Amino acid sequence: MREATHQARIGRIGLYVLLIWTCLFFSIPLLVVIATSLKTSDEVRTFSIVSLPMTPGFAAWAKAWYSACTGLNCGGVHVGFWNSVRILLPSVIISVLVGSVTGYALSHWRVRGANIIMLFLLLGAFIPYQVILYPLVKMFSTIGIYSSLPCIIAVHVLFGLPVMSLLFRNFYAGLPEELVKAARIDGAGFWRIFAWVMLPMSVNILIVATILQTTGIWNDYLLGLIFAGRDNMPMTVQLNAISTTSTGVIEYNVNTAAALLTALPPLLIYFFSGRYFVRGITAGAVKG
Amino acid sequence: MSAVSVRGLSKAFGVLRVLRDIDLPVEAGEFTVLLGPSGCGKSTLLNAIAGLEDIDGGTIEIGGVDVTQREPSKRGIAMVFQSYALYPTMSVRGNLSFGLRVKSTPKREVEKRIAWAARLLQIDELLDRKPSQLSGGQRQRVAIGRALVQQAKVFLFDEPLSNLDAKLRTEMRVELKRLHKELGATIIYVTHDQIEAMTLATRIAVMRAGRIEQYAAPDNLYEAPATLFVAGFVGSPAMNFMPGRLVAGTVDIGAMSVPLNLYQFRSIPNSGQNVILGIRPEHVTLAVADDQRPAIDASTLFMEPMGADTLGWFQCGAHRIAARLPPQVARGISGNVRLAFAMDQVSLFDPVSEARL
Repeated sequence: MREATHQARIGRIGLYVLLIWTCLFFSIPLLVVIATSLKTSDEVRTFSIVSLPMTPGFAAWAKAWYSACTGLNCGGVHVGFWNSVRILLPSVIISVLVGSVTGYALSHWRVRGANIIMLFLLLGAFIPYQVILYPLVKMFSTIGIYSSLPCIIAVHVLFGLPVMSLLFRNFYAGLPEELVKAARIDGAGFWRIFAWVMLPMSVNILIVATILQTTGIWNDYLLGLIFAGRDNMPMTVQLNAISTTSTGVIEYNVNTAAALLTALPPLLIYFFSGRYFVRGITAGAVKG
Repeated sequence: MSAVSVRGLSKAFGVLRVLRDIDLPVEAGEFTVLLGPSGCGKSTLLNAIAGLEDIDGGTIEIGGVDVTQREPSKRGIAMVFQSYALYPTMSVRGNLSFGLRVKSTPKREVEKRIAWAARLLQIDELLDRKPSQLSGGQRQRVAIGRALVQQAKVFLFDEPLSNLDAKLRTEMRVELKRLHKELGATIIYVTHDQIEAMTLATRIAVMRAGRIEQYAAPDNLYEAPATLFVAGFVGSPAMNFMPGRLVAGTVDIGAMSVPLNLYQFRSIPNSGQNVILGIRPEHVTLAVADDQRPAIDASTLFMEPMGADTLGWFQCGAHRIAARLPPQVARGISGNVRLAFAMDQVSLFDPVSEARL
């Protein structure tokens, strides 16, 4: 008995040592980036990449935010930040709302050809979007909104809808259909049942959907580059431009600071709502 | 309170015909129970009457008005579901008032009706709770209350007591009977529980495979089942069945000859016809010395004491026969016995058409 507990304790210690080492190993890149962003340019050049900053400061962060240059523009990443926000908010709101209505209709109303719609949604969710980039560009330029804010928002909504619809469909399919029947007998119609009965029950799934869409859209690079147009480039595109600018000395501290600023919103979301995020992934993965 | 009349109703899911030409007249103030095994179409029929299920043919009239094409909310009905289907995010008050708010009923009227329903169902203290804070029985009351405040002409119940435990179910049964008496409402009620059907109904429609086998008052249904299926389905334990042959006013079953001078034939049978004789366990007793009744030799299998009476199981040739016996009598029984049949209580069925003779 005693022997057993002793061995169990040794096992525990081994486990923790392993976990801590793994943690350290995987956080090295992030730690290096943070450390570098807090250094001065001289320090970056003189010392090793893994050394800690001697006089940590946020000068590089300020420069990245206000005055880092992309080509001839020296406005810093805050320009891209606000562009990203302007793309993000309408894209997320529209795709989540439309997705929830679609999911509700598909799960609780007899829609003609619902199975075929589901098939297309699945296709839409699993076909890599790079495949249809070219036709999309042609489409948008034909209707004349290519390279604009509405264009990039439409693209994000379009690419978000399949997954959003499936996510909500699966959630609503889990709710008893008698709820809808009861509301119909009470005299409520399609929209009233959605707004008064279904939406109030959907708080969790709305959070999950918002997180999925927010991180996805914020981290997007390719779609922003292609569809947003020069004036609406999202933060990710600008970050890339800053770090690949090859005039003069490469300011690694400014680049890392810009990278961290760009990654901050999704990071914060992961930290504060990781629990919902995991739930969302499993909801999509298991039932999708 | 108003009558419901279903005529020629049919419904198919693909090739599966779940309702075949159903006729169901329900008089105003009647408590009609749709009884049948799962998959017989009883819930589909109820949903069709409610307007929640599209139908392929036939008409539905409520209160003399053809409502076949109307929306559920325009039919003058209220419905209670098996899963209660309370709106989980609304309080009890919100649940009760939802339908009235949808119809823009004046506030004072809404409050009046809620107060009335809450008092009737004794849920006054629960009005501000959420459904998740209620017990099963309380939820059921709220679900009934939600139907009551509609002041509908017809109430539809879809297995409302199935999710309750046995004790609560008995209580709610009494409650429902009281409500029906007090409101004088027309009720159509779906269940697979024959006790519920027998105790509540003024008329029972026994359904099987999309058809109504018999539609009659509970006593009538129990004492003179119209088909072999109804005879076997209603009554617990089930009626005993034995095949025999009709010979000149008697039924021959093995060595036993059963006289039929008390039996009311629906039509004149052919002599020599094969029949199935059915007799309920309570009409089988132990034969006494020089018994005048027809009797048959049997060997005792086992006893099932049920409190008020004991169910004795006997083997009689190839058949197993159940008899409902007084416990004192049952305790002394073992080995070979002679069972006597109450001849005025038998039922005869045609083995081919399964109809009562």
